[in-house]
Amino acid sequence: MAAVTLKNVIKRFGVFEIVHGANIDIDDGEFVVFVGPSGCGKSTLLRMIAGLEDISDGEIAIGGKVVNDVEAADRGIAMVFQSYALYPHMTVEQNLSFGLRMTGNPKADTERRVKRASEILRIAELMKRRPRQLSGGQRQRVAIGRAIVREPQVFLFDEPLSNLDAELRVQMRVEISRLHKELGVTMVYVTHDQTEAMTLADRIVVLNAGNIEQIGAPLDLYDDPANRFVAGFVGSPKMNFLAAKVVGTDNSAAIVELVNHRGVRLRKPLSDALPAIGGDVVVGVRPEHFFDAGQGDCDLTLKADVAEHLGSVSYVYANSGTGGGREELIIEREASRHRANGDDLVVSIKADRSLLFDATGARIR
Amino acid sequence: MRYQNATAYRFLAPYLLIFSIFWLWPIIDSFLISFQATRTVPWRFAPTFNWGRLIGDPAFFNALKNTLLILVIQVPVMISLAIVMAVLLNSPLLKARGLFRFAFFAPVVVGEVAYSAVFRLMFNLDYGIINKLLNSIGLPSVDWFTNVTPAMAVIMMAVTWRWAGYNAIILLAGLQSIPEDVYEAATLDRVSKVKQFFYITLPLLKPIIVFCAVLSIIGTMQLFTEPFLITERGGPGGGTETLGLLLYRQGFRSLNFGYASAIAYTMAGLAIAISLVQIWLTREPK
Repeated sequence: MAAVTLKNVIKRFGVFEIVHGANIDIDDGEFVVFVGPSGCGKSTLLRMIAGLEDISDGEIAIGGKVVNDVEAADRGIAMVFQSYALYPHMTVEQNLSFGLRMTGNPKADTERRVKRASEILRIAELMKRRPRQLSGGQRQRVAIGRAIVREPQVFLFDEPLSNLDAELRVQMRVEISRLHKELGVTMVYVTHDQTEAMTLADRIVVLNAGNIEQIGAPLDLYDDPANRFVAGFVGSPKMNFLAAKVVGTDNSAAIVELVNHRGVRLRKPLSDALPAIGGDVVVGVRPEHFFDAGQGDCDLTLKADVAEHLGSVSYVYANSGTGGGREELIIEREASRHRANGDDLVVSIKADRSLLFDATGARIR
Repeated sequence: MRYQNATAYRFLAPYLLIFSIFWLWPIIDSFLISFQATRTVPWRFAPTFNWGRLIGDPAFFNALKNTLLILVIQVPVMISLAIVMAVLLNSPLLKARGLFRFAFFAPVVVGEVAYSAVFRLMFNLDYGIINKLLNSIGLPSVDWFTNVTPAMAVIMMAVTWRWAGYNAIILLAGLQSIPEDVYEAATLDRVSKVKQFFYITLPLLKPIIVFCAVLSIIGTMQLFTEPFLITERGGPGGGTETLGLLLYRQGFRSLNFGYASAIAYTMAGLAIAISLVQIWLTREPK
C-alpha cells in the first residue's frame, strides 16, 4: 500500500500541453476517481502514474519515492485497461499467471496468488477458458484478477466499465467497491461517468481541459462546487443554469434578476465580496431544488415540454417560454403520470438552494 | 424468389461462361489428358502411361527433390526474414516508414526478366558484385552457375529477395492488428521486450504466418521463372530443375501434354497436402 503524490505534473505532446501542472495528494488506501469529459487529460494523468507515458515536467511519487525515472514495471502498480487487454491466446489461468511466470516467480507462490485472485473475483470455474469464451463482465473480472496477482501497492483503473452494459456496470461498480474494502489498497480510477465517480470515490478529482477544477469528497463537490464546470459536471441530471444580472445589493446579499424569466428577482445572501451591479451572473439550481409555487423565494412560470417518469421520480423538461432568451430547464418532481405537453408549470426556487457564478464561471459565495 | 434467382444467374452468365471455358474446362481437360498417351498422334487412353512413368522417372524425382529442398530451406528463411522486417517496419523508432514499406514491396513489382538479368549479373563469376565483395574480404570467387550447390543458393536468394518484402507487408498488417494495450499490460507485468515477442507477438501472429507460409509453399511448388532465367533452364545439368520447369520441358518442348498434366496434378496435390499438414500442425488449440 502506498500514497501517491503528483507535484506540478505537466504533459506535453510536441508543442501541445495536455496537462497543465497537476497537484494531487492521494492518501494510502484511498479510492480516488479522476473524472472529466473526454480529452480532459485524465487518462494521460493515469498513464503517467503507471509509467506508460513520460512526464514532461513535475514529479510523481509513489510510497514516498519519486518514480519519474522508474520503469513502469518497478513502480508497484497494476493497471486495469478499458479494453481489458487480456492475452487472447492464453487461458484465464495463463493470463493471470503470465507476468509471474515470465519473471521466474516461484511456482507455488504463483499458484497461491492466482488461486487467491480467482477466489476474490469468483472466477475459479473460468480458469481453463480463453478470453473469447467469456462475457464482457467476466473478461473485466479476469483483467482485475491479473492486477490482483501482482499484489501491487496501487491499483490503476482506466475506464474499466465503459465497455459493459448498464446493468453489468452497476454490478461491477459494487464489485470494485467491495474489492477496495477487502484489499484496502490505494486505487486510482479514471472515468467520464460522474455516477461512477460519485458512487466509488473517497475523493473525486474533476478535470477539464488539462486543469484540475476541484478535488473533494463526492457530496462536497455536489453541494459545494468551486465553479460552474464542476457544478454542471457533477450530478445527474445536471444542474440548471439560469442567466441573471445583478440589479442591486444590500448589506450581505445580491439582488439578481433572472433575465429569461420575465425579470423575476432573487435575493441571494453572500459571504464574500458582493458582485458589481449590472454584471452578468448565472444562478445554478439542481433539478431537485425546485419547489411548489410559493414555497421558495421566487416563482418561475414555465412551459413543460416533456416528462420522463422513472417510477420513483419524474423529470420534467420545461422552458422559460419567452422568445429569444428561451431557457431549457430540468425539474425533478414527485413521481406522477402526467404527460406535460405544453402545460404551464409554476415552480419556486430558494436562495439557499441555489448557487451563484460570475461570468467566468467562478463561484460567488 | 425463383424468378429473382434466375435474374441473378442471367447477370452472372457472362462470367460463368468465361470461367467455364477458360478455367473449369482446362482443369478438367488436363486431368483427363494425364490419363492419355500423348507422345504420338493420335492420343489414346492409357491410364498408367503417364502416372506409371512418373513413379519411375529419375528426372521427376530430381525435380521433386530440388523443389522440396528449396521449399524446406527457402520458405522458413524467407518467413523468418519477413517477420523481422515486419517488426522493424512496425517500430515507432523507424523514420520514413512509407518509403521503407515501398522499398520492401518493390521487388514484387519489378519485371521477372529484368530482375533475373540483374541477379545473373550480380552473381557473374568475373565481374559480378557478389564475387567482388567476397574478394574484398579475402574470400575466393565462387562459380555460382556451374556448380549445383551455389546455383541452388542463388535461386533461393533470388526468390527470398523477391518475396520476403511482400510477406513482410502482409505480416505488418497482422502486427498492426495486435492492440497496443496488450503490450502495455505485458510491460506492467515486467515481461521483457524479447519475451513479449516470443510469447505475445508470435502466437498472435500465427494465423498470418500460416497464411504466408501456405502462399509461399504454393508459390515454391510452382517455381519456374528463377531456374528458367537465372540458372538457365535448371542448370547446371538439371541441378536446379524444379517441377515447374520439368512440366514446361515436357509440355512445351517435348509437347508431351499427358505427362506434363500428370506432373501438374502432382504439384497441385503436393501443395495442397503440405499446406494441410502445415495448417493442421499450427491449428488453434480447442
